[in-house]
Amino acid sequence: MHKCDCNPLVPDIVEVIEIVEETPDVKTFNVKSEKGVPFDVMPGQLAMLSLVPVGEAMFSVSWQEEKEYLQFAIKRVGLMTDELHKIDVGQQLGIRGPYGNGFPVEECKGKDMLFIGGGIGLAPLRSFIKYCFKHRQDYGKIQILYGSRSYADLCFKEELFEKWPGQKDTEVFVTIDNPEEGWDGHVGFVPSYLEEINPDPAGKIAVTCGPPIMIKFVLQALEKMGYTDEQVITTLEMRMKCGIGKCGRCNIGSEYICLDGPVFNLAQLKKLPPEW
Amino acid sequence: MKVLSKDKLETVFNRLAQESDVYVPMQRGEQSGFFSFLTYDAARDEIALDILNTYLPPKNIILPQTEKMYSFRQEGTKVNIEEVYEDSQPKIIFGIRGCDAKAVECLDMVFLTRGYEDSFYKSRRENTVIIANACYAPGPNCFCESMGIDPVNPRPADVIIRDTGNGTLVWEAASDKGKKISDQISEFLEEKDVKLPEAKQCQRQVAYDGVAEKLRDMFASPVWDKLSEPCQNCGICTYLCPTCYCFDIQVKSWGEEGYRFRCWDSCMYREYTQMAGGHNPRETGTERFRNRFLHKLEFFKERYGTSLCTGCGRCIIACPVGIDITNIVDLIKEVDAGA
Repeated sequence: MHKCDCNPLVPDIVEVIEIVEETPDVKTFNVKSEKGVPFDVMPGQLAMLSLVPVGEAMFSVSWQEEKEYLQFAIKRVGLMTDELHKIDVGQQLGIRGPYGNGFPVEECKGKDMLFIGGGIGLAPLRSFIKYCFKHRQDYGKIQILYGSRSYADLCFKEELFEKWPGQKDTEVFVTIDNPEEGWDGHVGFVPSYLEEINPDPAGKIAVTCGPPIMIKFVLQALEKMGYTDEQVITTLEMRMKCGIGKCGRCNIGSEYICLDGPVFNLAQLKKLPPEW
Repeated sequence: MKVLSKDKLETVFNRLAQESDVYVPMQRGEQSGFFSFLTYDAARDEIALDILNTYLPPKNIILPQTEKMYSFRQEGTKVNIEEVYEDSQPKIIFGIRGCDAKAVECLDMVFLTRGYEDSFYKSRRENTVIIANACYAPGPNCFCESMGIDPVNPRPADVIIRDTGNGTLVWEAASDKGKKISDQISEFLEEKDVKLPEAKQCQRQVAYDGVAEKLRDMFASPVWDKLSEPCQNCGICTYLCPTCYCFDIQVKSWGEEGYRFRCWDSCMYREYTQMAGGHNPRETGTERFRNRFLHKLEFFKERYGTSLCTGCGRCIIACPVGIDITNIVDLIKEVDAGA
């Protein structure tokens, strides 16, 4: 297997070792290279995956399991992800990374954490959530608010309903957009559920990711509840090709999302042109 | 000083071409640009050191319009990266002007700094010698002086040549690479005192000072609607711009084989920022136009400390609807930032 260590645009090779169907259009792929993980990834960082003869696309790494494998939860939304959803265990993929700044896991130490996700937006948050559980003593109370269109569209159900609620000093709130048979949980959109829960901003960091419209209303709700711009973190998405701040397209103002982002706090975002 | 007689140029190019690809400014039919001396055909081409400016910039020499990155094989589920194409063939760009030399410096900042070195670019750039031609009489669309360039002292350069106007070029080695090249052709260089022409100023002057700072407050200004109105988003400005470097990465595959390549892209096109889920942060032509001019005049300066326009004037000549970046700078200067 050829690997050019010096050229950041040439991929390493990984193999898909497990595929989990999360929802009708989201699958989680566990991938490993000959040495285990192709590289170490911090929560919120990105990697460029390629179905080599088809295309490359950038994804948030939803978890690194020790030195064993990387996990990507991928929603089927376009040409490349359509093809990715057709592959089986054993398929080899190209991978390069890690890219981007990732979540400020150090700065958040000692804080209470509030995670607010919608749809596939839970995938990047999950890396931070699992990191908090792994280093449980470093973080205070953990609240997770997550919503999707329907029960079927909720990602990571086992963690949501079984693993996470049992963790020390942790609350998990789940909502779906519309009532459905067999669902006795909360119904409604994430921003309004957030206002109902009304989590106190004191000593807390809020981290959010989801559809742009959800993020917009979540930010408004947080502001109303008294969260400062420094207490609110989000992770952005733009089209990317190179991942190393050269190809040009993922800029917002003079920042490149692949390199300077994808994670920003609201204070940083407000200094950028409103293209996010 | 060292002087090279212009009637020996072809001999010198032939000598240098034994070891390097030599790119020379030529008029080729209606086209002008930096073409490989190996393709020089006296019946068709005219070596034209005095063109201001060549229609095509020399950027393709260090950032090719299309470039193979690596080849691969996929057999069943197994994938192998076969060959990585890093181009280390020595190259000489002969006679580039201060604007285009400065553009190379901008490309160096993008591809060689800020966290990652681009190996494809680096390999080509390290093996490229720049022989820059000092400008004593800028062309009708030139405004490099306004963009902070001294046309008589082009930088970066390994050799600077100065046309005396009397059939000779003053030859100044300006780096170790330049000294090596000078040694290779030393038999053609004479020691001689010659008089250099008087440097004329650019006819076009633009007041760029303070524009980058002013633009910080102008993202939401309605002036962009007005300025972008004639723009067709055709992208010719980006292709002819010596500093526009944006690229796409694509794949070509057949059967079990294929290669990944990159090619110039343009921020003028909708697809450039189109995301798979349907969202496009720069959906409209106006948004794309604004991003291009802000990148040239504000964003690049914020990130790298210099503007991404070098005053070469090519976009002014090529734009089919007459958009002129110097007028845009003037207008930005005049308009009320909040309006």
